Amino acid sequence: MANNSMEAANTATQSVNTNTHTESKTMKQKKRSSQWTWYIFLIPSFLGILLFMVYPIAESLRLSFFKSNGTIETFTGLANFRTVLTSGPFWNSVWNTFYIGIFQIIITIPLGFIFATLINSVSKGKNFFKVLYFLPNVTSIVAAAMIFQFVLHPEMGILNYILGSLGLPTPGWFSDPATSKWGVILLAVWHWIGFVIIICLANLQAISSEMYEAAKIDGASGIQQWFFITIPNMTGTFAFLLITGWIGALQRFNEVYVVGGPNGSPARSIQTMGAFIYERGFTGFEFGIASAATYIMFIIILIFTFINLKVSKMKI
Amino acid sequence: MRRGIYKKKITLFITMMLLLSFALVGCVPKSNSSSSTSKTEGKWAGQKIKVQMIGDFAMEDKTDPVTGETAKGMKVVKEEFEKQHPGATVDFVLMPWEGYTEKTQAMITSGEADVYQMPGVADFAPQGVLEPLQPWIEKDKEFSLDIFIDNQVDGWKALGTDSKELDIFGLPFLGDTRFIAYDKKIFDDWGVEYPSENPTMEEIAEKAKQMTGKNPKTGEQNYGIWFRGDWSSAFTLVDLAEGQNGTWGTGFAWDEVKFNLDSPEMLNGLNWLLEMQKYAPKGIVSNQGNEKWLSKDNNIAIMLNQGPGDTVKPAYAQGLGDRIGIVNEFKNDEGRGGLFAGSPITIAKSSKNKELAWEWVKFATSDFVQKFVFEEYGAIPAVKSATEWESVKEMPLMLPVFKAMETPMTPRYPWGSSQPRFILTSEIEAALTGNRSAEDALKKAQKESTEWVENR
Repeated sequence: MANNSMEAANTATQSVNTNTHTESKTMKQKKRSSQWTWYIFLIPSFLGILLFMVYPIAESLRLSFFKSNGTIETFTGLANFRTVLTSGPFWNSVWNTFYIGIFQIIITIPLGFIFATLINSVSKGKNFFKVLYFLPNVTSIVAAAMIFQFVLHPEMGILNYILGSLGLPTPGWFSDPATSKWGVILLAVWHWIGFVIIICLANLQAISSEMYEAAKIDGASGIQQWFFITIPNMTGTFAFLLITGWIGALQRFNEVYVVGGPNGSPARSIQTMGAFIYERGFTGFEFGIASAATYIMFIIILIFTFINLKVSKMKI
Repeated sequence: MRRGIYKKKITLFITMMLLLSFALVGCVPKSNSSSSTSKTEGKWAGQKIKVQMIGDFAMEDKTDPVTGETAKGMKVVKEEFEKQHPGATVDFVLMPWEGYTEKTQAMITSGEADVYQMPGVADFAPQGVLEPLQPWIEKDKEFSLDIFIDNQVDGWKALGTDSKELDIFGLPFLGDTRFIAYDKKIFDDWGVEYPSENPTMEEIAEKAKQMTGKNPKTGEQNYGIWFRGDWSSAFTLVDLAEGQNGTWGTGFAWDEVKFNLDSPEMLNGLNWLLEMQKYAPKGIVSNQGNEKWLSKDNNIAIMLNQGPGDTVKPAYAQGLGDRIGIVNEFKNDEGRGGLFAGSPITIAKSSKNKELAWEWVKFATSDFVQKFVFEEYGAIPAVKSATEWESVKEMPLMLPVFKAMETPMTPRYPWGSSQPRFILTSEIEAALTGNRSAEDALKKAQKESTEWVENR
């Protein structure tokens, strides 16, 4: 009787174990199958990335070793890279890209930070100023470039009208190679500053007020607080703006294309690397040269971003 | 259980794919393309062609932003073609001028259409993607090249894959030309005689000089002349050289092209432009300073290198049709000179319905389509009969346009959309902005263009 009950108990335990084992197995299977379900959701975007990013990148690399007009192709090895690297207009476009980029960044980040600090310190109308400064950033750069052509018109432009009224010289802006880059810099600063202000404001609002209170107790002045509390707490944001700003600046194309066309008129003075690639690829059917220039531009951006990361000590 | 999950997965997958397909289909703008199912009756039963067209064309009726008039859609043309060719179906791919070169390249590479409007025919013919049209012309007894305005067929001749002789790969569809336009009111205000039909550089320079300053009647600042110092300046300069019996160089196939960009005629032409800059408003190298042109407050007397699309219809739309005059660009002693422009139509070599494609080519160059695109879209006809149309007679400015279409340099400049054009343009800009002397600029353009041809 006792043996029987023992056996029954053993059988029950075994059955429970088997059930638990089966259940845990089913749970695992369920988990795995539910994981797979989510991969199905990823297929459309994965296909998109594969077709519209991975394939063009690979195809562009292949094309850079060919002389190609789109249909007829001849393998030329590294000749396209040699042509680009020995081309005067290419290095001119590199110079233009960096010139415009450097001044855009060294003007916009400090200016945006100062504006953000001022907006942060006002008690009323904060949101109004945020909207006001952010508006240019949501404006299409193509439309903004067209408007700037009127603003910087050498004879009828409002800026030259103001400068003339103040007795100052009136530059030719986009009609003079000496000032055309500054026209683009003004446009770029105007367009980007709203973004810089918003990012800086977000960081400013995250700095603990206790730090300022402690500094005040220690007798620190407003300027001292700004230099020794605010700025050191902003380094992460500055690094972020520096890196994203540089990547955007090195890819600059839209506004210079609207203002100066693919050859960066006048006299290639605002032709950027992006415009150089467009000019060779899409106006002259030199797809091999354009692809090689694209990869050289990619390497330049890669090296420069690496240097930026080191300089700004930003962790990614 | 497993089967249930499997079924769910499949259902989910199919739903996702359907959603993606709907989204993609939904992204295709209805007005820019048309598609129809094949018909089963008639001489051309089941045959279907796809026609690519560039410009402001639309399938449905639309309002012209300049004139405010409603333009009929291309569906009218489609219906007429299908009526004339029972059983046939024509579909359209309509695209804007922006980026048309790369779009055409992508389309022709993938065999997307049967017939293409193709200003860059000289670049595509050597790729072997176009059908030579001479055999079709010879075979078709009803068709004659005499219908086209003189010089138009020659202008579009191009070199095939291995050919050394120019051949017909495209027939004129839309006409275009370059001319000198002027404002009669400003001439009258200054008491200056209108330019002659074939003006010389000296005549234009003298008149431009006379009409620069305060207008004696209105007191407004007037400028004697305006020209684009950037985008099209290479064509303006080459025309100036041609006006002195010079040339840009010789050859058509790249291995035969020899540039002559630093010739005395080119140098004289560039120095002339530098001189003319004194009588032009500021901003010519950034396409600025001409904002008042074709308005009642216009302040410019003479406009070089103008096209009919930006002049004729806008002038009438502004009520200035009688105030504007048109004369020829600078011509050589044979009466030739200036950029050959416009749009031919071509048949893709990959077309599966070449007979029907040829029918479309004939139809597109017929009076019906030529008149339709002129009256509805302001596109310039390429056929001689246009001078007899009432709609053309209502716009007398069209007559000098047709005259100007007869005398540009043909064939089309082979470097017109390649690096040498941009090299020359940049150097003209450098000279106009004082960055280089005219001589140095042209020498540099000659050197760089020659090197480019040698290395390509």
